[in-house]
Amino acid sequence: MDACHFRCAEGQAFEKGHFEREQTRTCALFDKTGAAESIDCSLFISGAAKMTAQNGFGQILSPLSVDEALAAMAHGAVPIAGATWVMRAPLRHEPLPGQLLSLSGLNDLHDLTIDTKCASLGAMTTHDKLAVALAPHADLSGLAAAAGNSANPGIRRVATLGGNIATSAFAASDLAPALLAADATVILATASGQKALPMETFLASRAGLGHGGLILRVEIPRSPRNAAHARLPMRKAGDYPCAIVSISVSVLAGMIADIRIAVGAVEPTARRWTALEDRLIGTAYDPARAEAEARKLTDGFTAREAIDAPGWYRLSVLPVLLRRAFLKLQAGV
Amino acid sequence: MPIELNINGDTITLEIDPRTPLLDVLRDRQRLTGAKAVCREGFCGACTVHVDGQPVPSCLRPVGMLQGCRIVTVEGLAPSGTLNRVQQAFIDHDVVQCGMCFPGMVMTLTEFLDREPSPSRDQIKTALVGNICRCTGYERIIDAVLSMQTEAAK
Ligand SMILES: Cc1cc2nc3c(=O)[nH]c(=O)nc-3n(C[C@H](O)[C@H](O)[C@H](O)COP(=O)(O)OP(=O)(O)OC[C@H]3O[C@@H](n4cnc5c(N)ncnc54)[C@H](O)[C@@H]3O)c2cc1C
Ligand code: FES
Ligand code: FES
Repeated sequence: MDACHFRCAEGQAFEKGHFEREQTRTCALFDKTGAAESIDCSLFISGAAKMTAQNGFGQILSPLSVDEALAAMAHGAVPIAGATWVMRAPLRHEPLPGQLLSLSGLNDLHDLTIDTKCASLGAMTTHDKLAVALAPHADLSGLAAAAGNSANPGIRRVATLGGNIATSAFAASDLAPALLAADATVILATASGQKALPMETFLASRAGLGHGGLILRVEIPRSPRNAAHARLPMRKAGDYPCAIVSISVSVLAGMIADIRIAVGAVEPTARRWTALEDRLIGTAYDPARAEAEARKLTDGFTAREAIDAPGWYRLSVLPVLLRRAFLKLQAGV
Repeated sequence: MPIELNINGDTITLEIDPRTPLLDVLRDRQRLTGAKAVCREGFCGACTVHVDGQPVPSCLRPVGMLQGCRIVTVEGLAPSGTLNRVQQAFIDHDVVQCGMCFPGMVMTLTEFLDREPSPSRDQIKTALVGNICRCTGYERIIDAVLSMQTEAAK
């Protein structure tokens, strides 16, 4: 049966892109109203599975080594980690990839070690595990807060570090700015060997990685800086942030000795706010002054216009978020 | 390849596309309609089930990734014909309105209270961030959960 034969109870025809998303909803409407005579009853009985079967079953491969995974990716298989982004493809009017590749069996990608020199975080580490493991460390607590406050508890139990930063179409990543502020390096496996890319380079190049790069882990050099993460969702929690400021700062005798400031969700990709870092370095650690300086420098951003917030709003809250991030650290610096 | 799933203690084998969301298998194949399909994007929590003891949104879990996992739905929380303590508290305190969100609330709170038997009001709110209710305004749900501690202490 062709997708265009489907109509919901309101009589709206489904386009191909809607097809997978709406199929069960259609069935539910059929169940409730009995209004969809053009639907084959067996579709109601077997739901999504039957529908996908008409185009042939998809596949989920489960490689046990990185080499196997890269070989499958070279033939078009798309990696899935927590699958929380990939499974929403139909909602974005994108087809669900036919061949998926579960990374669950790649043991190295689950490793997480923190020593005095480096924090090494496997790509398959979930947000909730990150939050718990990093929280005790002052230099990593910005990333801990990013992981522990993103999305909602159910998503945080499943969504991974690798999946979060790999998604170039997702502007509101909490982890990306926190990793920028932490000077993180992304370690990738590619057909031509391993690569270590500074977070900034990784973010700029990830859309072009296509099927060629598997994120193995993220490495963060330990530092004497303290870190904080301030985000503004439209609801108090459980929503995407419309703007994010992540900072990592060291203070000597009340003066800012070293600082990283990264901004997320404002532009399509997170980035450092170097103009503001230059302005603040060597000055007193003062949340109100930091906010005032930030306000003079917001026109360096080209803010996204999107359904959750207009661009001007994102810019207007940035300085406030910077102050909040400063305030979070004030007791400890 | 057939997929083997363990749902509420029963092992079932399905010839099915492995990308199918667990939610659809539960509702359309197994007739376990407790988990609700509301947003299908991980925001509302109405589809929450336990996978290996963890409350997760079943709408975003492809069944091909769940072989060997223990899946428990709201129908499997307590022996047939009985209620678990969260369900009982919701009834005792007349909390439920339309009921759409409640299976998910029960799944989230059951695991939460196993982990955190004496939570504060704020902790309960934080635990429920991923369970949206459009009817109740939440406060009675929280009161019911808090009452469980008072009753347990009696
Ligand atoms: C309701 C909801 C709310 C959310 N709120 C927030 C929020 O507030 N803040 C936030 O930051 N995020 C938020 N998210 C986004 C969520 O964090 C992402 O969906 C998640 O991080 C993706 O991770 P995953 O492991 O599920 O990725 P998957 O869906 O498995 O994969 C995502 C992409 O990454 C690729 N990929 C995965 N792992 C690797 C790897 N190791 N190497 C190469 N490529 C890989 C996949 O091929 C795919 O393209 C939210 C999501 C939902 C559903
Ligand atoms: S239906 Fe799964 S979270 Fe809403
Ligand atoms: S009781 Fe109706 S949505 Fe919660």
